[in-house]
Amino acid sequence: MLRALPVRTRRRTAVLAAAVLAGVLVVVLVTAWPGGGSGNTTTVDGNPSAVLYTAGHRPLAPGFTGTTLTGSQLSSSSYRGHVVVLNFWGSWCVPCREEATTLAAVAGRYRPAGVSFLGVDVRDTTASAQAFVNQFHVGYPSVGDASSVITADFSDVVPIAGTPTTLVIDRTGHIAGAVFGTVTYSDLTAILAKVTAKGG
Amino acid sequence: MPVNVALGHLSNAFMIATLIIYSLSVFAFAGDFAFGRPRRAAAVRGQQEARDREAALATVGAAPGIPGTSGSAAAGTAAPEASGGPGDPGVPAASGGGGAAGSMPEPAVPAFRAIRAAGRWVIAAVLLSSLGAAAHTTTVITRGLAVHRAPWGNMYEFVTALTCVAVLFFLYVLIRYQVWTLGVFVMGSIVVALGLAETLIYTAPGDLVPALQSYWLDIHVTAMTLATGIFFVAAVLGAVYLWTDRYTRRVAAGQATPGHGIIRRLPSIEQIDRLTYRTVVFGFPVWTFGVIAGGIWADQAWGRYWGWDPVETWAFITWVLYAAFLHARATAGWRGRRAHYVQLLGFTSLIFNVMVVQVFIAGLHSYSGVAG
Amino acid sequence: MTDVRAPESDPFDPAAERDDPPRPGPGSPGGGAFGLADWLKWAWRQLTSMRIALILLFLLAVGTVPGSILPQQGADPAAVQQYYVSHPGLAPWLNRLGLFNVFAAPWFAAIYLLLFASLIGCVVPRTFRLAGSTRSLPPRAPRNLSRLPRSAEYVTTLPPAAAAAVAAKVLSGHGFRLRRPAAGEDAGATGETGPGNGHWVSAEKGYLREAGNLLFHLALLGLLVSVALGGLFGYKADRLLVQGQTFADTTSALDEFHPGRFVTGADLARFTMTLNQFTASYISTGQQRGQPSAFDARVTYTEQPGGPARTGHLAVNRPLSVDGAKVYLIGHGYAPVFKVTDARGQVVYDQATPFVAGATGNFLSEGVVKVPDAQPDQLGFTGVFVPTAANVGGTLESVFPAADNPVVSLIGYAGNLGENAGPAQSVYELDTAGMKRLTASPQALAPGQSLKLPGDRGTITFTGYVPWVSLAITHDPGQLPALICGMAALGGLLLSFMVRRRRVFVRARASQPGAGENGTTVQVGGLARTDASGSFEAEFAALAAELKSAHEQAAPGEPAVSPQPEGE
Repeated sequence: MLRALPVRTRRRTAVLAAAVLAGVLVVVLVTAWPGGGSGNTTTVDGNPSAVLYTAGHRPLAPGFTGTTLTGSQLSSSSYRGHVVVLNFWGSWCVPCREEATTLAAVAGRYRPAGVSFLGVDVRDTTASAQAFVNQFHVGYPSVGDASSVITADFSDVVPIAGTPTTLVIDRTGHIAGAVFGTVTYSDLTAILAKVTAKGG
Repeated sequence: MPVNVALGHLSNAFMIATLIIYSLSVFAFAGDFAFGRPRRAAAVRGQQEARDREAALATVGAAPGIPGTSGSAAAGTAAPEASGGPGDPGVPAASGGGGAAGSMPEPAVPAFRAIRAAGRWVIAAVLLSSLGAAAHTTTVITRGLAVHRAPWGNMYEFVTALTCVAVLFFLYVLIRYQVWTLGVFVMGSIVVALGLAETLIYTAPGDLVPALQSYWLDIHVTAMTLATGIFFVAAVLGAVYLWTDRYTRRVAAGQATPGHGIIRRLPSIEQIDRLTYRTVVFGFPVWTFGVIAGGIWADQAWGRYWGWDPVETWAFITWVLYAAFLHARATAGWRGRRAHYVQLLGFTSLIFNVMVVQVFIAGLHSYSGVAG
Repeated sequence: MTDVRAPESDPFDPAAERDDPPRPGPGSPGGGAFGLADWLKWAWRQLTSMRIALILLFLLAVGTVPGSILPQQGADPAAVQQYYVSHPGLAPWLNRLGLFNVFAAPWFAAIYLLLFASLIGCVVPRTFRLAGSTRSLPPRAPRNLSRLPRSAEYVTTLPPAAAAAVAAKVLSGHGFRLRRPAAGEDAGATGETGPGNGHWVSAEKGYLREAGNLLFHLALLGLLVSVALGGLFGYKADRLLVQGQTFADTTSALDEFHPGRFVTGADLARFTMTLNQFTASYISTGQQRGQPSAFDARVTYTEQPGGPARTGHLAVNRPLSVDGAKVYLIGHGYAPVFKVTDARGQVVYDQATPFVAGATGNFLSEGVVKVPDAQPDQLGFTGVFVPTAANVGGTLESVFPAADNPVVSLIGYAGNLGENAGPAQSVYELDTAGMKRLTASPQALAPGQSLKLPGDRGTITFTGYVPWVSLAITHDPGQLPALICGMAALGGLLLSFMVRRRRVFVRARASQPGAGENGTTVQVGGLARTDASGSFEAEFAALAAELKSAHEQAAPGEPAVSPQPEGE
């Protein structure tokens, strides 16, 4: 024990340090409590899963090439200058079945406005996907993405958490809006209305 | 590589030999109780001496005179540790009362002389135990050679190996601390454990599933085998402690007559306590290392170093209980009897893990090779 | 955890107030005016007391028990569901108590947080104290050294002062920290009387013991922080990969993804991996027939998108490190390949379908085929894959886990799979509520064989099989810190058990008049604390012998002139 220092003070310092450390530990561990990850993106129309990116903050959509379900080659570059609705889907995915008719309806409504629809068929086989396309009379092409490589490239710029996900890409090739999960008619048309109206 | 059947048979033959020799050594240890040299008087003297020292320390503890000390509390508590008398009360103790020529501490009695001094029965018992240990070690080694791997891959092999560790460790304790009278308890328990393993869970030599084909198996399970063997000895010593303690308290309460035929020949209760503590102190870091090595192995095999798998959970419980023993021994009101109950609880959880959790509770560690 | 908490209330540790009973007066609730601050102080003192720590240790041990006996949500959610089914009355109560998720339950956290708070409350002040004690000196030598646990006494012809100096030299040569009487501290100051009583040496050694003890406990704290680090910044994911398939490590390509609190899908390593070939070898003869002997998965992977493709092996116990993540082989199975043609003759399903091995052994596996887009009705099949089929008393059994004689047995259903709306279903379960069973008995197919569905609903062909593996992908930034802390804990433990703190005192007094020779009596005393290895006895004996011989050498024959003491 050091004689030079008053014993009381030293003990009090030590105890105080211990108490503070214990408090910090508790805080750290409480925040470490298991919890889900969170997406933090700007939202639109009160629906947290329908997102509109403000101009100037739109992420650039990665380019991709792939084989369509009918066996032809398709490149994203051929869509430049068009507003594109990119729908990530799979024949195995239950919500995709729910939104299939919605997508077909919106596609029909916006075709005159020059909006192209394109599917990305995730973790699927051609046989099942083609059966789905026939079943729901999907009128637009889909690129096969059995390995999820295209999905992964897009996940780098937008937080794609699962299938389905629908992205709206503006004429400059930037992602202007997104619906994470099942699309509703109103959400998608609201996004498209803004993207096509702005002319950007 | 195929199993070497001939070596496997050789290993089994050595196992039988081991069991027979161990049984004989238990007889010899028991014979020492029945016919060996009396040790009581010396023991009493040794205890008296220890008590004197404790009393002395009560004053010494305060004497250094450090400001703000709680000197009085220091008294009796440091004593049990410091009062290490000579190992066997039967061996002449270094006595205190110095004359004009002064007194020097006597060097420790060499092991061989101590064994010889302990009498014919002890000589026989130690020789038989050593011979049995040699046969036991050969059993384990030949088994390992037969299966081309560390021979502790299933429960039968594990028990065989851990009892081998326990015997080797106990032989060290026996000779180092010259506690001949404890032999009958430890060797007796070994014979029982080994006999049960041989009759109930014998598993023919064989290969391991891929999950166990890792050098971390060798490291993790080796550490666990070593620690379990050491804790086995500690558990037997703890049981002897509790028995002696119970008797001592009954005598104090007038419920039993002093001079129990067996207990009076045992080392002092303080010495048993100390031996148990030292044994646990030796085993605890080994167990800790085994848990860490298990974590490394789990990380390599399953992608996480800790996942609360039932076996991991029980290894943790065992660790916590032994840690509690080490702490309890240093806490007023918990020393002695209570601490030893904690220690035995720790060993119970260990055995529960091996015998019940690994066999009956589904988990990632279900490799026991015993049909549930 | 050793006895960091002022154990054997220690003559070496004067500030060890741990075991003190609660003091009356303002220090305890029994006193008169007892404010909030006093209560807090009292609670803190209770929390950091050894007794409470011990109780918390017990609670920790007891609290973990249900976690090993009851099924746990994290490890086996299906077993928890099963428990709900078999114990409908009990399960909700157990769930309320958090017993299906013990290691994340608030009460469990409370136990270990209190324990660690208690540990901090003990270790930090002790660290301060150790820091202080490294700058302070050992205590003065007690008057009567023969009353110490170890003692020795002999006579030398050296004068007391010289004898003490020689002893000091010997002891400092052994690495002891020394204390000699200070100038004013001779005889009178300590209240000792008689000539030469002031010639003494106090020596102490073994500070590392306490340091090791503290290191151990601090390392345990570090371990807890490391675990928390992994929970905050790590993730764990699972992916089933059929031979020939490729996957990119992204959220939607994973079957399960458990991110830490501060982790999102964007933090995943960006690799892609292809399973080129998986082989499982089994022992084919002897008692262990059917036991697996080796697994090997050959993979091709790219660490970055568009990066160079590398090949690698994955095996049990041999993970692959890819771009900061580790990929583990944790399971495998068979995926029979089915081709389904519907009533219109259109191929509506053609893929390998992972089946999962059941508990019956020999890789008898079960699975489900769902064909949602078949016309006119949706089709579903429940199937069993038998790797080595044998007819045992009329039933199909697997007699070996390798696919030596593969057979699938199917039951067909038509109707509504229940998948057009509603919650996502398991790919391993078929909801037959809205379906009609097509065949009365299961139909067995060998590779290449087809089953014509009744009512012209189409055909299903068992075209072959491929193996699949399940992979775990983990990233745990707390892993290395945890390993380091674990090693530090072990090191601290070993230090605290192997090093013993001990004191040796030497006193040299002029022999009593009338004892004949005009010499000096040297007393040596020794004291060890928690001498776990029990070898202080031997050390002291050796030390005493060395001191004696040093004194004999320093004093050949007649009492010599006292040599100038060194180191003073």
